[in-house]
Amino acid sequence: MRPEPVLAISGLVVHHGGVRALESIDITANSGEIVVLLGANGAGKSTLIETIIGLNVPRSGSIRFHGEEISGMAPDTIVRRGVAVVPEGRGVFSSMTVRDNLLLGAVPGDERSHRLASILRRFPVLSERSSQLAGTLSGGEARILVVARALMSNPGLILLDEPSIGLAPQILRSLFDLVVSLAEEGFTILMAEQNAYQALRIAHRGYVLERGRVVHRGSAADLRDDPRIAEAYLGASR
Amino acid sequence: MTTLIAQLVNGVSLGSVYILLVTGFNLVLLVARVVHISYPHTVVLSMYAAWYGMSLADNSITAGVLAAVFTGILVNAVMAPIFARFSHRGVQADINSTMVVSLAIGLAIVELLSHGFNNGFPVSFSGFFRAGGTTFGTDVLHLSVAHLLALILSVGLTASLFFLLYRSAWGRRARAVAEDALGAAIAGVPVALTQRYSFLIGGTLAGVSAIILAALLGFASSTLADLVAIKALAVSIIAGLGHLVGGIAIALALGILEALAQGYLGGTWANAVALVVLLVVLLLRPKGLFGSRL
Repeated sequence: MRPEPVLAISGLVVHHGGVRALESIDITANSGEIVVLLGANGAGKSTLIETIIGLNVPRSGSIRFHGEEISGMAPDTIVRRGVAVVPEGRGVFSSMTVRDNLLLGAVPGDERSHRLASILRRFPVLSERSSQLAGTLSGGEARILVVARALMSNPGLILLDEPSIGLAPQILRSLFDLVVSLAEEGFTILMAEQNAYQALRIAHRGYVLERGRVVHRGSAADLRDDPRIAEAYLGASR
Repeated sequence: MTTLIAQLVNGVSLGSVYILLVTGFNLVLLVARVVHISYPHTVVLSMYAAWYGMSLADNSITAGVLAAVFTGILVNAVMAPIFARFSHRGVQADINSTMVVSLAIGLAIVELLSHGFNNGFPVSFSGFFRAGGTTFGTDVLHLSVAHLLALILSVGLTASLFFLLYRSAWGRRARAVAEDALGAAIAGVPVALTQRYSFLIGGTLAGVSAIILAALLGFASSTLADLVAIKALAVSIIAGLGHLVGGIAIALALGILEALAQGYLGGTWANAVALVVLLVVLLLRPKGLFGSRL
């Protein structure tokens, strides 16, 4: 018997102001997998991430996390259930210290100091800057802080929304190396990304979205070798 | 010289009330994104509750204090879910809608005060609240218990609020919501709950402001609500909407300016001071002296 997917989305339909933003989306992510959502701007990748985290209410369909229906739940409830998100952009609270940013991550009070110590050990750059305002961090450090905040709750699923935007190639490589090591530790990753070449290099599977629909799906290797994908998404970013 | 010192003492006391008023107003504005125009009206409603509580309990100060603080908290607790209905994605209030709703609630409170208490006449406090407590001092400096109470409560409560904001889990969440409510929600912050707590804390500050105002003025009237609302809004705009520290500085400065105007120009001019300063600041620095936090 196959184990239940960590995330199972089926028949998901989302409307934005009367316009259909997502249509009949079926997506799964299994434990320890890196699953990438590819597509151009406006394809629906970020809308899908926002819907999983509870910022959009679906018109129909279901979103199951470890078998539990989470669509319609408030964002903080979904985060407490074990879904963490690394949003597009800096995503840090600039006027708060690095330490306070980390402590915002959903984690029970009695485990907070233990988790904080463990995260600061893992990310020495954050440990060195723990009393510094997050607004003073570089783009790469800010992205690491947001990933670290997501890890504070020891999540079952990490959603990354366009992690490559605004990052220098070297920093992006370190970030993707971090994503790979997280998957190797058993974290499940669903990543929306425009940089298809880089994303398919580290992903296990992928889905290609166009105008709110899944138009291609398959293993990362299959998608890389698909001439239609190569022509539409890999040419410019390779 | 005697007039100057007396008016400075009055100014600091008045400024202390403005500090609590504008801090409560700004807290709700920052965390819940509600321009709570009726917040000062809840202060005056709490003054009426204090008067009513005292009239039922043989002029007991304890009854008055409890009635005022309870009313401040209750009214704000009831309002919080009403404002929450006008929020985007359940986390970010629509600032225009909530301002109109708050304005309507303020009008309703004024109507209630005009017709529901003491046949519409202003209410006068007795005992401690009438005289402002024992007066003491020297030939030059006269202080009443009310003056000291205003200063101590204002400093104590404002310091406690800042301690809460910078040293507690709620404060951390409130600061995150104030900076980016949507970002806070996806970081796992219970935004709606955090915003409701800001209303409860704002309600407590409203209740305490009511007690200090009752002790300083000795009366309450329905027209006082609009006057206090104008002052609170003026202080907040002069400082920069939502700027907590700026609000405190301007509240104190305006209290002293008004008291000096009262001492040297007469009572009618004192109320115009806030509006004149507001006009000048809006012309020179439209986002306030300290900058808006919205």
